[in-house]
Amino acid sequence: MLFYNNWGEKMQKIKTFLIIFIGAFIGSNLRYGESLLLKSSNGFPYGTLVANLSGALVLPFLIHYLQDRYHLSSKIILALSTGLLGSYTTFSTFTADTYRLYQSGSWMMLIIYLTITIIGGFICALLGNYWAATRAFIDYAGRRNN
Amino acid sequence: MTFLLVGFGASIGAFFRNELTALSQKIKWDFPVITLLINIFGALLLGIFTAHVHAGGLLLFLGTGFCGGFTTYGTLNMELSQLWFQRRFFRCFLYFALTYIIGILGFIIGIHL
Repeated sequence: MLFYNNWGEKMQKIKTFLIIFIGAFIGSNLRYGESLLLKSSNGFPYGTLVANLSGALVLPFLIHYLQDRYHLSSKIILALSTGLLGSYTTFSTFTADTYRLYQSGSWMMLIIYLTITIIGGFICALLGNYWAATRAFIDYAGRRNN
Repeated sequence: MTFLLVGFGASIGAFFRNELTALSQKIKWDFPVITLLINIFGALLLGIFTAHVHAGGLLLFLGTGFCGGFTTYGTLNMELSQLWFQRRFFRCFLYFALTYIIGILGFIIGIHL
């Protein structure tokens, strides 16, 4: 996968990297900015939570609605889903936050953080799917009435 | 300047994630094993970096950047919701449990390595 035997393949990889680069650069810094902006005195990781939940909601909407609705090319989808939303949301920081809350003995915050991340993200993804289906249906109904 | 460290790190992480996800088309497993492995490995790496990297800038590049961009929570939940809508509840539960339990353990192992 990382070894290429011809020039065309190499160029294709560089192109893919640049497309992901643009999305990931923006997505990761949005997350980083939120973590700085929402830094709380009690150490609760609001930033990671907001980034993860909003990203989990928007990703299904992008894939199941926006992609078809605006005929987004595979390159745009690569930049927005794999690049931007993939880097905007994070799993590794979540595990680090969990360990930090555990170490500091903030049990209440730990339980709240785990619950919202594990259950909340899943619910957000379900809602994102329903949101996409609803919008697609409204568009369809609108076209039929015209 | 810190935004450059985060941005470059995340771009490399996301590129590696994309390369690995491309493999999942070749693996005919009916389970999102690639995302699972990416998240576990990323958490382990972040544990190692957190314990051993003390320069703030480098930790931003490797941790917030690379590991943050490499691992993903959006795709995880999208795949979970797909399993749910396909009514594959056992797989969905298994994916939940494996990701969160081994993921958190991975970070703890990493920090003690």
